[in-house]
Amino acid sequence: MNTGGEINQRSTEYEVLSPWADADPVPLRGITPRPVDLAGKKVGLFSNRKRAAVLTLGAVERGLLQKFPTVQTSWYECSTINTPEMLTEGKAKFEAWVAGVDAVVLSVAD
Amino acid sequence: MTDGRSAASNKGMPLVRIVPDQVPCECNVKEDADAGIRACMAHIIEALTKPLSAEEQAPKKKERGTPSRIAFQGQLEEFDRFFYKRGWGDGLPLRPPTEAAVREMLAGTDLEPSHVVGRIVPRNGKATVEKIAINAVMAGALPTHMPILIACVEALADPRAHLGAYGTSTGSWMPFWIVNGPVRDGARVNSSSGAMSPGDIANAAIGRTMGLIVKNVGGARKAIEDMGVYGNPGKYSCVAGENEEMSPWEPLHVEQGLARDDSAVTLFFPNCYSQIWQYGSDDKGILATLIYNLPPGRSGLTCLLMTPTQAKTLAQKGWTKQMIRKYVYEYGRVSAYRHPTFHDGGGWTGRSPETVAPNAMDAVAIVPSADHIRILVLGGPGAFMGLACGGGLPGGQFVTKKINLPSGWSKLVAKYKSLVPAYEKY
Repeated sequence: MNTGGEINQRSTEYEVLSPWADADPVPLRGITPRPVDLAGKKVGLFSNRKRAAVLTLGAVERGLLQKFPTVQTSWYECSTINTPEMLTEGKAKFEAWVAGVDAVVLSVAD
Repeated sequence: MTDGRSAASNKGMPLVRIVPDQVPCECNVKEDADAGIRACMAHIIEALTKPLSAEEQAPKKKERGTPSRIAFQGQLEEFDRFFYKRGWGDGLPLRPPTEAAVREMLAGTDLEPSHVVGRIVPRNGKATVEKIAINAVMAGALPTHMPILIACVEALADPRAHLGAYGTSTGSWMPFWIVNGPVRDGARVNSSSGAMSPGDIANAAIGRTMGLIVKNVGGARKAIEDMGVYGNPGKYSCVAGENEEMSPWEPLHVEQGLARDDSAVTLFFPNCYSQIWQYGSDDKGILATLIYNLPPGRSGLTCLLMTPTQAKTLAQKGWTKQMIRKYVYEYGRVSAYRHPTFHDGGGWTGRSPETVAPNAMDAVAIVPSADHIRILVLGGPGAFMGLACGGGLPGGQFVTKKINLPSGWSKLVAKYKSLVPAYEKY
């Protein structure tokens, strides 16, 4: 059986503020155009230094070479784990590496 | 895959091509990795070569509109269910953040409600003073907790805390908030018996507020961004004051570079803490308890929890905090075969294969350095010790922020000082 207090509490109207925060809009970017064919192209393999990164990217490398014997690969290992490479001391090296490849595969490796 | 999509979106590239694979998490078995990648190799090649769609070239912004300041009008139960269904809660009942309740909460700071204390990842949500207050009301916090909460947000937003990794990691890391200085008295943060148990508003509501802020400001959604495998009850609240008055040493915030009279909060991310029966009540027994119970599978920041009695025993024998940290680092070792680096020659913490001991029986340090260790004097009488072991991200630190008290602090403390449990007598 409800007491009077319970009934009053239940019938009280609350106007409540939102706990959800604003966030500045992030400028959106498209992804890089793809090569039509990987034959003779250089594919970058980006390792985030997680345990499975080298194994999975190694498997990707072998898969690519099997399908496209003339494909070249170029490995890159992040300089600081869990940090966007562009925000690290490796930025210049990373940019030079990206400029030298036709496509990139990153393994999350988690 | 959802976490990868979310991470890419938060960096402004929502249409990065993602290929899910069937490789076991953190796999270190070549055959399994090969099989998992082989099964999706066609999709990887397609992702590398398929021409871009118009939207992939120039993704369109999704119009979400400006979020309304007033979230809901209705009765208590309806409010609670509405917030829960929006994902704004933590499963426990919430207190309605009405204009009046939020105004009262704002009495705990001199900062303007619109002031942005920090941006919280992964969404980079703006933690304004008002949003902090709203979440604090929901969690049942008091205005006397606001100065602590503001400092907690500063700590969370500090890149050295690595919230972006720990807040979303499969490791289910929990934020451990350690409060020092005079604010403990005014805000009634328990630092003695049962400090980490339920029952004290401050210890319960400060951690709960921060959990809500991680969700509602940072946007960390369970199983979307927060990929914690098991989850962690400490994410409800893990808050303790240091029992400074009973400690023979300088408090943690002094160790972290602040003045003794300052109030401060320190954050780091363990993913559990263990309590261990001391091996002996003398200094040798206390130190043995610590060095023989360090878990080798963590290898990161480590907080040693000891009672005032244990701390005094060590101090009486001449041990300083710095000496203990050095000792625990030097003697906290395991045979190499028990250490993760022996088994995979690397691991994800960035240790190079050269650090692997060549012999399985060689002693390997568990904690990376003495500087990865902090000591917290905490709790009441008893013979248990505690170990809170965190992750080992490079550059990760115990992050300490000074707490700034508002101009009307004494009045505020007086207003809430009678709010203490008077237990039933039986």
